[in-house]
Parts: sequence; structure tokens; C-alpha cells
Amino acid sequence: MDIFARTRLPRITALALASASFLAVTAAEAKEITIWCWDPNFNVAIMKEAGARYTKTHPDVTFNVVDFAKTDVEQKLQTGLASGTADALPDIVLIEDYGAQKYLQSFPGAFAPLSGTVDYSGFAPYKVEVMTVDDQVYGMPFDSGVTGLYYRKDYLEQAGFKPEDMQNLTWDRFIEIGSQVEAKTGKKMMGLDPNDGGLVRIIMQSAGQWYFDKEGKPNITGNAALKAALETVGKIMSANIYKPANGWSDWVGTFTSGDVATVVTGVWITGTVKAQPDQAGKWGVAPIPALSIEGATHASNLGGSSWYVLESSAEKAEAIDFLNEIYGKDIDFYQKILQDRGAVGSLLAARGGAAYEAADPFFGGEKVWQNFSDWLVKVPSVKYGVFTNEADLAVTAQLPALTQGTPVDEVLKAIDSEISGHIQ
Amino acid sequence: MALARRGGIGRYYDVNGWLFVAPALGLIALFMVYPILWSLWMSFQSGRGMMMKFAGFGNLVRLWNDPVFLKALTNTMTYFVVQVPIMILLALILASLLNNPRLVGRGFFRTAIFLPCVTSLVAYSVLFKGMFAPDGIVNSTLQAIGIIASPIPWLTNPFWAKTLVIIAITWRWTGYNMIFYLAALQNIDKSIYEVARIDGVPAWARFTHITIPLLKPVILFTTVISTIGTLQLFDEVYNLTEGKGGPSNATLTLSLYIYNLTFRFMPNFGYAATVSYVIVILVALLAFLQFFLAREREK
Repeated sequence: MDIFARTRLPRITALALASASFLAVTAAEAKEITIWCWDPNFNVAIMKEAGARYTKTHPDVTFNVVDFAKTDVEQKLQTGLASGTADALPDIVLIEDYGAQKYLQSFPGAFAPLSGTVDYSGFAPYKVEVMTVDDQVYGMPFDSGVTGLYYRKDYLEQAGFKPEDMQNLTWDRFIEIGSQVEAKTGKKMMGLDPNDGGLVRIIMQSAGQWYFDKEGKPNITGNAALKAALETVGKIMSANIYKPANGWSDWVGTFTSGDVATVVTGVWITGTVKAQPDQAGKWGVAPIPALSIEGATHASNLGGSSWYVLESSAEKAEAIDFLNEIYGKDIDFYQKILQDRGAVGSLLAARGGAAYEAADPFFGGEKVWQNFSDWLVKVPSVKYGVFTNEADLAVTAQLPALTQGTPVDEVLKAIDSEISGHIQ
Repeated sequence: MALARRGGIGRYYDVNGWLFVAPALGLIALFMVYPILWSLWMSFQSGRGMMMKFAGFGNLVRLWNDPVFLKALTNTMTYFVVQVPIMILLALILASLLNNPRLVGRGFFRTAIFLPCVTSLVAYSVLFKGMFAPDGIVNSTLQAIGIIASPIPWLTNPFWAKTLVIIAITWRWTGYNMIFYLAALQNIDKSIYEVARIDGVPAWARFTHITIPLLKPVILFTTVISTIGTLQLFDEVYNLTEGKGGPSNATLTLSLYIYNLTFRFMPNFGYAATVSYVIVILVALLAFLQFFLAREREK
């Protein structure tokens, strides 16, 4: 007992002194905003650019952009939110649009609403919709995943096709061309990862449908666009005009190595395509093929993500102000990230200007940015809901059955039953 | 007084004894008992993320109707039924071969076979993914020596993907089990083998009638350890299939499903806890069964 009594007082004094000096130090120090995101050539680089711009006018604010793999960002965010210990979390985090509602709805109060601060009327409406819960809007809309059909002019020319032949295709025509490309050049038409539902999602959204209806209920067995999308993927597989890929880097390898003639994906792939200088001038971009059903368009979306501020952040006010200043208003910033990184932002006011007008020598002088920006406004708006990851896995689980000749209606039923099991 | 109280039930009231074990007990309570009880309580709740509600046996009902869970359970049991016997037998054979004192370079072989189980899980999975790629070294070798005409779709075909996972875990864990057998073999009295040899018992009969019965306790131990390991299989599948358990859920294991339910899907911690208790119960049941079978044979 004696020992405790003697040591207690100095210990408390020391603790008090230590914490006082610690507080003093933090108060005097500049504010640091920690940001989690993925993809060093895209999101990370863009965020660093944005941070540098903000620090110029606000020298007391610095940025710490942390680069993780996408799944790691999601896992760390989810663990941190679930544990309730906010100090493990960043101030700003990047969330893919498909997952936004999941986080917003399952962790209420975790993200700061920006409705009062940001003028959302200036953004593409479908981007704002994915971040709205109960009339509150969270997050800062960032890049669009507007899709395009990238094609190798040289391969198609060898097969007897001109760039004009690639405009406004149907999927059936695309498959016909694919067979001829393989017959003439020996190259496959596209790379396809059977474990990735991306192509199905692109085709389905281009006809204005999603796995879920506006109320969030599964929309599978009666979904004409999904049915047509699955039929299309099935045709691509049975026509064997694709090079199988296992995983993302493998899939990227199918076109960087020059093994395939086309890539159908989001605009954010542009940087990766252009990363092969020896392929300069050989690529062209066309709108994606359309389905032959009602509501079919040549515009769709794949991925795309937005920035969210954590409610628990000590630097919340600075973080919100930063996003609003740069991503909400800085047109010049959007020009720069478009030219440097191929980022098509969703701020509508940034869709003009020199960068969008510029012809890209890599694509043989085509004004690709203008095209993407025209397609962006035509992307059919759908409600992603909260179970896209579950639905996507259910779809990819059925793709092998589809190639083995199982009727599409049965495949749809199997997908429906798997998704219904997850919705609780 | 103190002396009189010692012995019998009195020693349970000895404060000094409790003080000595108190730190350990406290840590066990905090880091083992509390999480176990809390996860059990969680398994009776359901909901999205932090919005958990008491659900009674709702999660069990959901388990019953969940096709993905049944698929994961079937896959896990397939790995268990196919892989564990192969690995145990292989480890036994390797151990008795490498126990031969006349074998040249057996130190090298022992190390080489044991080495896989100390390599990094992620590193070897990534390596396997590369080796078994459509144009990887395995396919090109098999094609070069004329065993197959076209590349085996190791990672894109449901059957071959499962086979690949089995190959991967066998490669990694056989050496681990072999070390136990080697240690046990060295404890068997050499005179037993000498007698058998003098009596003219052939090598295979010596293996089945002397080695295996004498190794029974170790075989039981490795079987139980392998059962637990296989039912918790996660890393290999996660890394080989980019976390998806594909193609077509063919390689999905229970542990990977728990991961998906917690981190990939709309988080449902309650349901994930229920699935983890399925693993707990399965491990307990299988271990009990193995002890039971081993005990009966001794009579």
C-alpha cells in the first residue's frame, strides 16, 4: 500500500504534463489529412495532385495519401467501422460506387453528409444517386466509369474492317467480326475473365436495367437486359472469340501483350492502354455494341468511385472544404487529370475546355475525350442497391453452366435463388 | 491454521495459489473466453453492418436454405475426404523411405520435403498461380512431353481448380506430417524390425503390420491436426482465385465464405459467426470420430 501511495502522485503529474505537452504540440502542428485509396497510377496520383493544389492556398493543411489494394481498403474500412475505434480510420476514403450504399446503410452515422456544402446539381445525376440515403447526400462524386470499345485498328484492318465498321455495332455483329478477326489474324477478339461479372454488368446497364429494381428487390428472372447480357456472354464463349484470363492482371495482359483485338471496359483503362508506347496509333475507340432489345443504348458504365469523409475524422472540416474546393469547383484540375491520367470526372462543368477538345495522337488523332464525355450523359441511370457484390458472384458462379449449354432461363433461376439467399 | 487447511478441498481456497495463476487466467478470460462467448451471442443476431438485431435461430434457418453455404460445405468436405488421406499416406511412405539409414542424401531430402511448410502462404500461392497458368510451366511441360494436347484450364475450370487446390495443400503440408512420422519412427525399437527381417517378413508387410500400428497415436494426431487445418482452409483458395472461390464457387471454402460475408458482401457479422460455429462443431465431431475409431481398433 505504501508503495502505491508514494508513487501515485508523481505518476499522475507526469501523465498530466505529458498529455498537456502532447496537446500543445498537436495544436501547433499543421493539419494532416489521411486518405486511403487504390491504384497508384490513377486514384493515388490524382489525389496527390489535388492535395498539392489545396496546400498551395492552405499551407497549414498537408496530405498523406495511402496506397492500398482495393480489397484491402474495403476490408480495413469495414473492420474499422465495425470495431467502432475511429482512430484507425482515415479522414477521406475512396469507395467504389457499387459498394457505396452498402457502407452508407450498414454503418449509419459513419460518413459525413455533404449536402449543405457541395452543390450536387453540377454533377452527373447517376453519380449523386449512388451516394444518397434518405435525402442526405454523402461523398464527393469522382470518376466516371463510362464505357467504350477500344479496338486495334491494325488487326481489324487485316481482317478487312475499317474504323467506320466499328461504330454503332450490335453484339451479334461484334461476335461476327470477332470470328473473322480470328480467321484472318489468329488473334482473339477480346480478353475475358470468367470470374468477373464486369461484362455482364456493362451490357445490362447499357439497356437500363440492374440486378435490382428501384426498390432494391431482386430483378433477375424478369430482367430482359440481364437475360440478353447473359446470352451475349454465352455466345461470345461458345464462338470462342475470347482469350481466357484469370484475374485482373492476367486480363490486362491480354491486350497489353497484343493478343486481343478489342477491349470493352470503363474509360479509366485508357492510361493502361496508353502505357504501351509501341502500340501508339494502333488503337481506336468506338461506342460499345448495343443489344437488340428495347431500351438498348451504346452507353454504359463500369465501376467508378467517389470520395467520402469519415464523420469521426478530427480534420473533418478541412477534409470537406478540400474536396469541395478541388473536386467540386476546380475546372483546371479536371483538365489536368484528364490529360495526365485519363480521368473523366463527373463534374459536368468540367466537360468542356481544351483537354476535352484535344486530339489524342495515341488514338490516331481521334478526339476520344469528347466522345467519352458525349457518352457519359447517355449512360442509363440505374440504382445499384446494396447487394451488387453478392449478385456479381452469383452471376459468375453460373457462367460455366451457361457455356455448357444450360438454358438461360434456368441460369437466371439459379442466380435468383442465390441472390435471394443473401438478402436478409 | 494454514497448515490444517491445506490438502483436500482447502487448497482451492489458497489465495496465494490463485494470485499466481490470476494473470494467466485474466488474459485467457479476456482474449479467449470473452471472444468465444461474444461470437456465440453474435450468432443469434442478424442484420446489416452495425444494425444488428436478435434473430433467435434465424441464422440457422438461413444456413439450411443457403445454396452457397451448402456449396462451401461440400467443397470443404471434398477437400477433407480427398486430400487428408492422400497426404497422410504420402507422408507415411516418405517418412519410412527417408528413415532408411542407408539412403544417400536423406538429410537433403528431408529438408527439401519439409521446406514447403515454412514458406510464406501468399508467396507459394502466387507462385502456383503462375506455374499453373494456361501458358505456365506445368502446362507447357505436360504438353512438351506429350501427356496433354491442349493446356489444362487449371484456374478456369471448376474440376481442375479444385484439383489445383488439393495439389497445392498437399505440396505444402505433406512434409509437415512427415516430420512427425520421422520422429516417431526413430522411437521404434530397431530390434522389432530385426526380428521381423530374420523371420523373413517382406518390407511391405513390415510397413503395414509393424510401422503403421506402432505409429497409430501419431497418425491420429496428424489426422486431427490436418482435419482442423483443412476445415479452416482459406489462404490458398483466397490467393489462387483472387478471393472469389471461383470458378463457379467450385473452390469456395467455409472460411472464405465467412470472409465474404464479413468483408465482401453486405456485412452480416451474426450470420458469419453462425457459419464459423459450423466449423467449430464439424472439427469437434470429426476429431471425436477419429479418436473413437482409433480407440476401437486398439482392442
